[in-house]
Order: sequence, then C-alpha cells, then structure tokens
Amino acid sequence: MSFTFESLIPFAPEIILVIAALTVMIIGLFMETSSKKLLGYFSIVALLASIAVIIAKGVYEVELTGLLAGSLTIDPMSQFFKLTFLLVSLLVVIASIKEFEEHSNQDEYYTLILLGTVGMMIVASAVDIVTMFIGFELASLSTYVLAGFNKNEPKNIEAAIKYFIIGAVSSTILLFGLSYLYGLSGGLTNIDELANFFSMNAELLISPMGIMALVMITAGFGFKMALVPFHMWAPDVYQGSPSVISALLAAGSKKMAFVAAFRVLLVAMIAMKVEIGILFAILAVATMTLGNVVAVSQKSIKRMLAYSSIAQAGYIAMVFVVVTPEALTGGILYVMSHAFMKAGAFITVGAVCYVLLKQNSKAQDVDHIDNFAGLGKRSPFLAFSMLLFLFALAGIPPTAGFVSKFILFLAVLKADYLYLVVIAILNSALSLYYYARVVKYMYVLPPASDEKMSVPTPYVLAIVLAMIGVLAIGIVPEPFVEWAASAAEVLFY
Amino acid sequence: MLPISYFLIVSAIVFCIGVYGVMTLRSGIMIMMCVELMINSANVNLVAFSSHFGQMNGQVFALFCIALAAAEAAIGFAILMSIFRSNKNINIDNLNILRW
Repeated sequence: MSFTFESLIPFAPEIILVIAALTVMIIGLFMETSSKKLLGYFSIVALLASIAVIIAKGVYEVELTGLLAGSLTIDPMSQFFKLTFLLVSLLVVIASIKEFEEHSNQDEYYTLILLGTVGMMIVASAVDIVTMFIGFELASLSTYVLAGFNKNEPKNIEAAIKYFIIGAVSSTILLFGLSYLYGLSGGLTNIDELANFFSMNAELLISPMGIMALVMITAGFGFKMALVPFHMWAPDVYQGSPSVISALLAAGSKKMAFVAAFRVLLVAMIAMKVEIGILFAILAVATMTLGNVVAVSQKSIKRMLAYSSIAQAGYIAMVFVVVTPEALTGGILYVMSHAFMKAGAFITVGAVCYVLLKQNSKAQDVDHIDNFAGLGKRSPFLAFSMLLFLFALAGIPPTAGFVSKFILFLAVLKADYLYLVVIAILNSALSLYYYARVVKYMYVLPPASDEKMSVPTPYVLAIVLAMIGVLAIGIVPEPFVEWAASAAEVLFY
Repeated sequence: MLPISYFLIVSAIVFCIGVYGVMTLRSGIMIMMCVELMINSANVNLVAFSSHFGQMNGQVFALFCIALAAAEAAIGFAILMSIFRSNKNINIDNLNILRW
C-alpha cells in the first residue's frame, strides 16, 4: 500500500484545523495576554476556511470511500455532521473571544477547541472501529481540559474531574466491547465488513460474548449520549463548566456519540435483524421522561438546560427503535437543530452570566433563575433570543425544533409505534412548562435591579448566528430535510 | 501455545477489578490506576485475538490504546493537581458543590 500526498486532499478540512491549532499553540507562546484575542480571530478564519472547503466539495452527492486504507469515508452523512460540528465550534469560538478575553491561557483554549473539533470530524467520517475510537478520544481528551479551564473556580474543576472519570471509564467500556467484537468476527475492524459478517453469522451476536459486546458498546455510547441509566454526569458537567464550553459539550461532543452510534449500532441492527428494539424503547422512554421530570424542579438555568438536553437525547434515541430511513432522517435533522438551539441557549446564558459578573464581580450562582427576573426590561435582546431558543427546544413553530420533532415523530408513528409517539408528545408538553417558567421570569416578574445590560458584540454575533440557524431550518425546511434524507440513505442502501 | 480462553479469562478478571476499584475507591490517583487496569485488560484481549487469528490489526489497535492511555493519564493528573491546589487533598468525596 503506497502513501501519496494526493490521498490527503479529501481531508483538507481536518488538516486546515490541525495546522491552525498547532499554529495557535506555538504563536501563543510568544504573545502578550492582551493581544491573544487575535488568536481567536485566527481560529474563526480557520473554521470558516474549513466550512468553505466542505461546502465546495458538495454535501448532497459526494461519495469517496476507502480513504486511508479503508478507515475513513466521505459521504453526505459525514458532511452533514462535520458541518454541524464546525458551525457549533464557530459559535463557541466567537462567543469565547469575550468570555476568555482576560484569560492568560487563551491560546491553549483555542487549540483545544480546534483539536476537539477535528476529533469529532474524524468520528463523523470513520468507518473503522480503530479510527472511530481514536477520534472519540481526541475529542474527549480536549473537552476534559476545556470543562475545567478556569482552574481557580471550584465548580470548574469539579465538573472537569467528574467528566474525566466518567468519560475515561465509559471509553474503556466501549473499548472492551469493541475488542470482543473484533474477536467474534475473527479479526475484522471495518464497520461494513463487520456488518456483512454478522448478517451471515447472526447467531454469534446472541452468544454470551456477543451480548456482552453489544451491551458494552451500547453503554459506552450511552454514556456519551447521556441516555438514562448513564446520564448522571451530564447535569453536573454542563452546570459546572464555563457556559460556552457547555454549549460545545451539549451541541458538539454529544452529537459525536450519536453519529458513531448511528454508524455502528444502526448498521449492526440492520445487519443482524434481531429484535432488540424493545431495549432501546425502554432507554428512550426512560431518558425523555426522567430528563423532563427532573428539569421541572431545577433552579439553575444551566442545569435545567442540561436535563432538557438529556430529554432531547431520548427523542433522538427513538431512531434506534424505529430503524427506518424516515426516522433516521428525522433523527439527523434533530441533531442539527438541537445543536443550534442548545448552543444558542447556553451562549445566551453565558452572556447573561458574563454581564452580571461584570456588574458585580462577587456575584455567586449567576446562572440561578432569579437572576433572569425582568430580563426583558434589562436587556430586550437577550430576553428575546432566550425566548426563541426555549420555544424552539419546546418545539413551537416556526422554529427548527418544530420541524425536526414533526418529522421524527411522524416517522415513528408511520412505523406503528403509537405508544412511543404518545409518550414523546406528552413529554414535549411537559417540557413547555419549565421553558415557559423561564419566560415568565424574564417578561412578567420585576427585575432585581434596573441597571441596563449592555451585551458585548461577540456574544451578539454568536447569538444572532444561532438564531438564523434555528429560524432557517424552521421557515425553509425543505433543503435541510432533503439533505438529512440523503445522509440517512447512506446507511440504508 | 495456551488456548485463547486463558487470556480472555485473565482480561475479564482484570477488567472487573478495575470496575470495582473505580466504584469503591476514594482517592483520585487510585481511580486513575483502576482506569488503566481496564484499558490494559482490553489491550490483552486485542493482542490475544490478534495472535490467535494471526493478523496485525488488533496489535496496532492495542498500540494506539497504550498511547491514548498515556495521554489520558497526563490530563487526569493535571486535573488532580488543580484539585489538590484548591482542596489540599485529592479525595473526590469532597467534591460535592454540584448536585441535583
């Protein structure tokens, strides 16, 4: 097998980011803290270049397989997820320029975000379990550090160590499951070859070892997706981390687990035709119900958003029950809209916290819901954007949340899973209660102080971009739905 | 040559020791060591399967995992260092600001 320079060209988006990340890291050594903001702008340029290269390559009908010894592929599915990850990182980097303006280690911060994005993009492309695991770890290792980036803040380091321990354990469980899969198949690592092998030898997957492998792989992905028995880390980590990093975790690294699970678990289920859908139905129902019920009683907005993110993962997990192209289309579309809604909501909360801390540097628990009282008077822009993101999360038209919920639920209904749809819709109704409570605080209750909030420009830019994403999918859904459908077809040829 | 089941039994036992340790121990360092045990048990599996089938994929995978384990340990110790600076110990039971 020969290695040529040409074989790297399809990976231009990843290579651009890696080079940018290393450049930021090295240049950062020689810069003053006050001018390190420039590195943030440089990262934005790199992300934009990467997005441009992906779009130029085409997103609908692109098919390059067998890259780098058959370990990576470029298809509509990988392009869709890569673009989602890049857009999320773009929003996060834009918002971070203000949030981390005075931090002396900004250069490392941008390096880690770029490398984490590369890890997620590799997972989106990987069709080999070795490559997939390495991409997974690249993204996880970067985000462990980012979660505890303000290391003098007790909440930050607590979030980081919790995320680290749970993340490391879940990765090893996944690795152990993958090693059994490798052994059962007689030494295969390519996902397509594995699927072919197990469709001919389905009885191997029902042997004790096969069941262990499937359970461990499901648990490993379940931890990263925060499905219910494996969800306990998510609220702590999302609440403790800096808000912009919570946006990256909820909108980026969680979605990475979904694309990996789509590629591995869905393909395995299609191939082996064994009825394990009921197990995933239990997981999905438990996830959405617990997420929504616990979110109702939360006092911290970030924690509430974390539980709502668990609930949304439950909706997407219905795809593993209803293994049809339509449901997968809905699930994939949901991933992108959820990325915009959740990133936007976390960045808005981050902006509120930033302004409150600027006004009173001793303030504690700035993400408490009381601090949102009267936000409509203190900062109409932040209140309106929060309103839009929360309504989108609840699934109210004309937002992205409505379109993706509609398509996903309809597909589940068409596949004759009436009880799942009923539970999901009841859950959506319940979720409206705690979203509306925040709206009540913002618009009805009187403000704690009349001091106006002036929002820094980078936050405004990031929030407006996220709003455009949410509204674009909501108002002109056709291109996005078609795109998601062409991504879903990849797994069902 | 030993039958492959011997290797699998050893790795399963080591993995269980690791899981038990992560769930019961209180010191951050001990937890990290247990995670290393779990990773290495998976590596034993991979190498055993790889030599059983007479091909190299598994050993390459194991090599990558060793490198990843080292990177993970570096990050874990860095986080534990910052915990030690603020708490003067690394007992993870004391970290309980974030709950419900």
